[in-house]
Amino acid sequence: MLTGLVAALGKDLRLLARDGVGLVFLTLAPIVVISVAGLSLATLYGAEPRGGMAPVLPLADEDGGWVGRAVRERLADEPSVRVRPVATAAAARALVRAKRAAAALTVPAGTSDAVNAGRAAALVLFTDPVKAVDVAYVHGLAQELRHGLEAAAVEHAQHDLDAARAQATDARAHLARAAEDLHRALDDLDARLQAMRADAERRRAAAERELHTALAARQAAAHARLVAALAPLRTFLAELAARRQAFAEWLAAVREQAGRLADRVPPPPEPPSVPPALEELVSADPDAVAARLIAPDGAAPTLPPVAPPAPPALPAFDLPSLPEPPAGRLPGPLALEETSVTGAPRRLNSFDQNVPGFGVTFLLLGVLLGVSLGLLDEHEWGTLERVRSMPMSLATLLVAKLAARVAVGTVQMALLFLVGRLVFGVSLGPQPWALMLPTAGIVFAGTAFGLVVAATAPSREAVLPLGSIAIMTMAAVGGCWWPINLEPDWMQRAALVFPTTWAMEAYNDLMIRRQPAGAALGATAVLLAHGAVYLAAGLLLFRRRVLRAA
Amino acid sequence: MAPPILVDGLRKSYGAQLALGGVSFEVAAGEIVGLLGPNGAGKSTTLGVLATLLRFDAGRVAVAGHALPAGAARARRALGLVPQQVAVYPTLGARENLRFFARALGLGRREAARSAAAALDLVGLAARAEEPVARLSGGMRRRLNLACGILHRPAVLLLDEPVVGVDPQSRERIFEAIETLARGGAAVLYSTHQMDEAERLCARVVLLDTGRVVAAGTPAALVAGAGLTPVLHLRTARPLPPGWLAGIAGAALADSSAPETTVKVTDTATVPAILAAALRAGGDVLEMALVRPSLADAFFALTGRALRDEDAPATASA
Repeated sequence: MLTGLVAALGKDLRLLARDGVGLVFLTLAPIVVISVAGLSLATLYGAEPRGGMAPVLPLADEDGGWVGRAVRERLADEPSVRVRPVATAAAARALVRAKRAAAALTVPAGTSDAVNAGRAAALVLFTDPVKAVDVAYVHGLAQELRHGLEAAAVEHAQHDLDAARAQATDARAHLARAAEDLHRALDDLDARLQAMRADAERRRAAAERELHTALAARQAAAHARLVAALAPLRTFLAELAARRQAFAEWLAAVREQAGRLADRVPPPPEPPSVPPALEELVSADPDAVAARLIAPDGAAPTLPPVAPPAPPALPAFDLPSLPEPPAGRLPGPLALEETSVTGAPRRLNSFDQNVPGFGVTFLLLGVLLGVSLGLLDEHEWGTLERVRSMPMSLATLLVAKLAARVAVGTVQMALLFLVGRLVFGVSLGPQPWALMLPTAGIVFAGTAFGLVVAATAPSREAVLPLGSIAIMTMAAVGGCWWPINLEPDWMQRAALVFPTTWAMEAYNDLMIRRQPAGAALGATAVLLAHGAVYLAAGLLLFRRRVLRAA
Repeated sequence: MAPPILVDGLRKSYGAQLALGGVSFEVAAGEIVGLLGPNGAGKSTTLGVLATLLRFDAGRVAVAGHALPAGAARARRALGLVPQQVAVYPTLGARENLRFFARALGLGRREAARSAAAALDLVGLAARAEEPVARLSGGMRRRLNLACGILHRPAVLLLDEPVVGVDPQSRERIFEAIETLARGGAAVLYSTHQMDEAERLCARVVLLDTGRVVAAGTPAALVAGAGLTPVLHLRTARPLPPGWLAGIAGAALADSSAPETTVKVTDTATVPAILAAALRAGGDVLEMALVRPSLADAFFALTGRALRDEDAPATASA
């Protein structure tokens, strides 16, 4: 089995090697088509046109101000358009109408003044809608330009505003420092007033203490003199009381002795009574009398509070907190920053799409038509029948033919990638070897699908239209000729049934999105599954076809 | 011991169309048997069944002792097929073709190379072995076609009109190669509608018509069995008078339309006497031809149909 397979594989490779037209078709044809398509459709994929491919852009500066000058200067440095200065907007418009330019840009008169005055102004873009791609590119460029000018103006205004704000901030700081000095002066004055007031209080208290001391001394002296003055009176009154007591006792003894005559004894004369006040004075404690006569300390006259004059109320010098100068930020320019989520370059090399896309197309043409026509050749040459009469199995012959095409297809794709890299500078991704994953998958699927076509096409005449329709449909819908996202959603969903869709998805992941090999594993698995299904169906159908003929 | 080729009651239909209606014959080892019949007689179908390419409806078929279809895989190792079409890869060289088919026949790499070289020698193509087949002449391609079928020295060789359009030199080389193989013990079944090929090469022939065996045997026996005799064609300057052939035993006038005269000759020994009689009768013979009956004539006699379209008028007049 294996030796037969090797022999058949060698035979098919020799047949391919002897097919000069086929080899040209497999190699030069896709390179030519890739070159033409890549150069022709470069802008379709978002690449910046350069040199001779850059569109002509008539520019009319009727403004003559800084806006017009800035537009001219910026476009002069822009390699992706060829600026053609014209005098008037009418001349610019005429060039577009004459189909000599896809779009023309005009800076109307007074634009700079309007912008300076804060009024709205507009650049005018004349466009030819038929040249949609160029128009879209110039439109984008003009938008970038307008945005740049706007941003520059805003930046300028912001600079002025920032300077004014800085001045205001300085003035505010100066004022704040002055207020602070004033506050400090007032506080110092207040402190000094308080100190003076406290000193006055201290002086008054001292004077009061001296006064109290003097008064107490004088009270003590008065007390002593009062006690001394009252002592004889007290003694007299004590003797008076004793004598009155003795008289009463005598009287009583007289009456007793008078017996029955007592009644006749006349009453003694009443001694003069001691005035109560005098009695109270004498009986009272000399200290209390002194205290009553001489006011005690508490009752001593006190100095009227020496209230130093209250310092004049300092005016509440409270500067209203000056608000921070407003930030004064003009609305910042809203830029659009494009960032590839995978870190891939923002701009696409159109050949990154075209090399795998047209490579897959020609690969399918090669393997699909190669297998189907190759089997038809075997049938027409009679070699298929001859081999069927030999010990080699039909499956061995078929598998060898498919294997030969797989090998050639793989080499073909590798060659196209190599040429793409060397000539067109395509990206091979971070792991170039990973491109062999989807390549193996699509080569296998396309080759096996060729067996299905060979088994179903009734004749050589039927293979070409049948195979061509299948290949063209798969290639177009699968995104080989243009980015698949240009297609409507329903078609993108329908495209999932085609192996080309998965191959291009994997190639785009690896080459354009610059993802590692793991990103292509899923698509490769789907491609291999496609191939397995096609192979099983093809072997079944081909075997049935052969047996039906028997 | 079973013959290398055994066909017994073979029936095969393509849909409603009967292709073979009970064909039976055998080919022994070392024997070359011709399978003769007009187009559509069933020759290629018979070979297709023997080559394991076609299924059959009924009958018994065995190749090299292996009954078909069960023994097809083993039978393929023993048989060599030389199809009517030159079944080779036109862009490959003769040697490359032979090596591939040798490998397809199960030979090892070195054995395949040896077999290819031997086959090239046998068919006289060693000097052109490396050239792409497309550059070879038709006769060379036919020889290569034969070589591809005999690489493994098959015990059974099936040839389907292998010398169509071949120059006499190539034809003779092919015949010699076939005879060499037969001498080596191969059983050869040679399908053709060219009677001369069968007469040159085959010890026996099987005549097929509309899927049935009309007759089988040696060529001479078939002709004899059909009751055919040689005829003598004469062209004379003057018409021969009536009765000029009288008295010559074994000769009978078949047709006379001046200046052509046709005489049936049961014994070719009487030809000089017939010529002498014509001269005596003042016929002045300008041209004469003795035509012996062929297998084509026998086939026509047996079936009323010509083996080839171009044979029809001649045999019809015979």
